[in-house]
Amino acid sequence: MNTASGFIKALESGTKHLFIKRFTLRYPEQKLKFDGDGYQFDPKKGVGIAGLRGRHILFHDKCTGCQLCSIACEGIAEAISMVKVDEHWKQNKKSIMPQIDYGKCVFCGLCVDACPFYALYMTNDYELSSYTKSHLIYTPSQLAVKPKYDGDVEIKIDSMGANHG
Amino acid sequence: MSTLEEKIDEAKNLSMQIVKDSEEDRLMTLSVGPQHPGSGHFRFVIKIDGDYIVYVDPDPGYVHRGHEKMCEYRNFFQNIPHLERPVIHDSCNITYSYSLAIEDLIGITVPRRGQFIRAIASELNRLVYTEYWLAIYGIFLGHSTMFMWPAGDRELIIDLLERLTGHRVTHAFNIPGGVRNDMPYNFKEKCLTQVNYFEKRLKEYEHIFYNNPLLRQRTEGVGILSKEDAIKLGVTGSVLRASGVPYDIRKVEPYDVYDEIDFNVQYMKTCDSFARAYVPYLDMIESCHIIRQLLDKIPESGDVREKLLSNVKGPPGESFKRIESGRGALSYHIVSDGTSRAYRVKMSVGSFRNLLALPFLLVGSKLGDMPPIYWSLNYWPVEADR
Repeated sequence: MNTASGFIKALESGTKHLFIKRFTLRYPEQKLKFDGDGYQFDPKKGVGIAGLRGRHILFHDKCTGCQLCSIACEGIAEAISMVKVDEHWKQNKKSIMPQIDYGKCVFCGLCVDACPFYALYMTNDYELSSYTKSHLIYTPSQLAVKPKYDGDVEIKIDSMGANHG
Repeated sequence: MSTLEEKIDEAKNLSMQIVKDSEEDRLMTLSVGPQHPGSGHFRFVIKIDGDYIVYVDPDPGYVHRGHEKMCEYRNFFQNIPHLERPVIHDSCNITYSYSLAIEDLIGITVPRRGQFIRAIASELNRLVYTEYWLAIYGIFLGHSTMFMWPAGDRELIIDLLERLTGHRVTHAFNIPGGVRNDMPYNFKEKCLTQVNYFEKRLKEYEHIFYNNPLLRQRTEGVGILSKEDAIKLGVTGSVLRASGVPYDIRKVEPYDVYDEIDFNVQYMKTCDSFARAYVPYLDMIESCHIIRQLLDKIPESGDVREKLLSNVKGPPGESFKRIESGRGALSYHIVSDGTSRAYRVKMSVGSFRNLLALPFLLVGSKLGDMPPIYWSLNYWPVEADR
């Protein structure tokens, strides 16, 4: 290819982009839609269920305080510590539950894989920023709250190229 | 009778003699990096004579984190999240060979569907890595459009990986025994449409970047690494293939399901910076073919993960496995003493092996040719330091 036609082709291929939609997600006005409610794990089958690995959700009625999640995190991020709770559950004799420091968590989800009682899952909530470090430490009662996530945008591929609608 | 050329040579030799006498005054030392935009936690000290580079001293090690030592204090599963940190945008590949080595040590085989999902994740990750590398190659040469396009198109593949693994980067997806989770229900169709569209986009890169006369003039004939030198220096991956050696671990030592896949090893014989920039691009197109074949051949149902104890112990012994990553051969040598922790883990990464070619290529070239030569080596500083 000679020089002139090379330049013309390059300009032409760039100019085409003036007439197609921009491929930009306008966050936070737009948020991506995810499949499912987040990463979960089935200890009977020993395999996870696909989903986004956002912040955790803790089911207080299932947690036994066995500390397996904390032990799994020991060599990774050391983000989970077991704390005393005021609630009294039949299955949780010691009344201890995990407290997660999201300043340290790497969201690998190996704590979810370690839980044999279906008590710890992950959710679609990934907006965890705060002004202070202490606000990043989520107590068991904060972890029990189911997050509201209302993303509804997906990548569309049509004659205008790929876009977010 | 001396010809004109001989006389010119004589004069040059004489002037070179003068240069040697006053070398200390003539040479200028430049320190490129670690804050050079793009060099990425990596420095090389170069000495220039006028416009020509006469001495290069690469100085890696700014982001050395001791991953190999860390592996000795964690069990085989706890290693996964920190082992992918050296190359966060190629994390399915850097944990792939680790998982293969552990499986070889323990003596288990991954279920067939798990092997396919692993290969799909690995190929998607190769696309993400190469797009990122290409974006930086574009901005290194002052081509801002080539920074924006791959960075944008990379989003298509990242979206797929997010649905499959749960994260945009640092997937922690490959694990000894298989993969963490099965594919979501609508993943196959989504993957096909997005990869097909992605391949269509790749064709446009030819027009704006690879056939662009400006890029051709800056890269063609620059930084020649001949076939013999490439083999002697021990470079790997796209750098080796650009020097005319069709060597790909996926073909030479097929792992998992790669012996059932039909694909070509892309290589070029021009041995210059352009070839090293073009071969990864050809690899991306080949990866799209591989992903389509994998999606076609994947079993409809079945296990994806072999159930293992969290503190699984292997028999005392050694294992060595390697795979083809975005930067070349990536291998792990694991020595176990029979406990749940490895006695020694040694990583051999493509980046560090390609770095050895850098002083060889830069000496004698112009300072302006430094960016196209340096980044064409497919070098990722963080991985080289480990």
